[in-house]
Amino acid sequence: MKREKERGGTPVRGLLPLILLLGLWELTGDPASPYFPPPSTWVDGLRPLVDGDKLLPAIGQTALTFLLGLSIATVVGAVVGTLVGASRPIDRALSPSLEFLRALPAASLVPVAALVLGYTTQMKLVVVVLPATWPILLTCRTARRTLSPVLLDTPRTLGLSRWHRTTKILTPALTPAVLLGVRVAAPLALIITLLVEIVTRVDGLGAVLGAAQASFLSAQVYGLLTIAGVLGFLVNWVVTRAETAVSRRMRGTT
Amino acid sequence: MTPTISCDDLAVTLPGASGPVHILRGVTLAVEKAEFVSILGTSGSGKTTLLRVLGGLLPASGGTVRCDDTAISGPPEGVVTVFQDYAHSLLPWRTVRRNVALGIEARLPKSERDERVDEALTMVGLLDRAEEYPWRLSGGMQQRVQIARALATRPRVLLMDEPFGALDAMTKASLQDQLQQVQELTGTTIVFVTHDVEEAVYLSDRLVVLNGSPADIGLSLEIPLPRPRHQITTKERPDYLELRHRVYEALGHTVGEPARG
Repeated sequence: MKREKERGGTPVRGLLPLILLLGLWELTGDPASPYFPPPSTWVDGLRPLVDGDKLLPAIGQTALTFLLGLSIATVVGAVVGTLVGASRPIDRALSPSLEFLRALPAASLVPVAALVLGYTTQMKLVVVVLPATWPILLTCRTARRTLSPVLLDTPRTLGLSRWHRTTKILTPALTPAVLLGVRVAAPLALIITLLVEIVTRVDGLGAVLGAAQASFLSAQVYGLLTIAGVLGFLVNWVVTRAETAVSRRMRGTT
Repeated sequence: MTPTISCDDLAVTLPGASGPVHILRGVTLAVEKAEFVSILGTSGSGKTTLLRVLGGLLPASGGTVRCDDTAISGPPEGVVTVFQDYAHSLLPWRTVRRNVALGIEARLPKSERDERVDEALTMVGLLDRAEEYPWRLSGGMQQRVQIARALATRPRVLLMDEPFGALDAMTKASLQDQLQQVQELTGTTIVFVTHDVEEAVYLSDRLVVLNGSPADIGLSLEIPLPRPRHQITTKERPDYLELRHRVYEALGHTVGEPARG
């Protein structure tokens, strides 16, 4: 129980410096400043978006791209990673290419994807899926490669079918690795989602943020930034909690 | 009697870092029903390889492997292997009960499954720990869970790969006696791989020694000690000591010289 508290307690106290900083900004900031408007003006800056019914759909679009992209990346990364890790020759043959593709900066994909797919939701998805796949694929590959041979022999000697070997042994055994990959991939996917929206202005929070910046609505920019920050914090918190809980259960450590 | 499980002129060659490695050559072994046969050998002599081939987990490179007169390709039904590495063989996300049910849950209705699991856990004396997770149990208990999981499938042949190799001497002795009781109760055929001479002589009806590289069977020895056997009295019998002496010799130890590490 004690341990639970140590690990899972919300770090409210840790946010104190940030809150102090915002407070200081509020007290000393000039409401007319074009660069650093104080926090109280941010809400007013967001009001036109709320009234025009633009903010929630934009958050929805961003969330949809992010979740859909991350889900596709999880499935693709887990399946391909498992297959690559299961075979020594395939692993050796593909590893250099995989390492190169992983190191490719995700942002540089945006122009190529926009060129091929145009300014569409599909383009956004492709740009999010590609970089988010690598962490999941690579952790899953390593986990599959280092899986104990005894764990794979056990269901065979007990006469389990190929399907049951996959669902009852392989899937639970690799789930912690997949979630570890997701934990790395999720913040990355959110960053790329916002980035591609800012650059291409196709829907979402990033597009609104980019538009606000172009129109010198600095209070609105800060307001949107705060929303993006909270979104990122929530995503990270949920994924970390899920990963910790599941891997503790699956690995059976106390 | 027809042998339950047998191999004839078996050869196994595995790929190694510098070309193929010949592990076994010309191994012929036939195990009768309800017999307890031990395979002894120094480490790296191919004992585990032989057991894996008999269990259908590794294909033979030459010769034939039969289970009840049928050539095998893959693990035959009713032949279950128990591994030395119990920690990796038990599923940490399943309770003891659900671990033991792993081999039968897809084939049997729930009521019968529960009955079999209870029966198997009773045989190894762990019924009261059924709802625990395996990683909360001691090493000896975990190995008993693995044995119970094999027993729940009601195997005709139990292949055991140094099952007590990682356990301390006292736990080992008590599990040896438990295994004898289980075999008496179920009439299961047991092939038992070990590098422990005392253990092999104490448990077996017959033992074979693998030696050479590639290995073949160097010594095949009947153990006519009366059953039930007892940890103290059996091991004090002159015929036990005589058999033990012969096995040590077959493994390359010579009398009069100090043993080398």
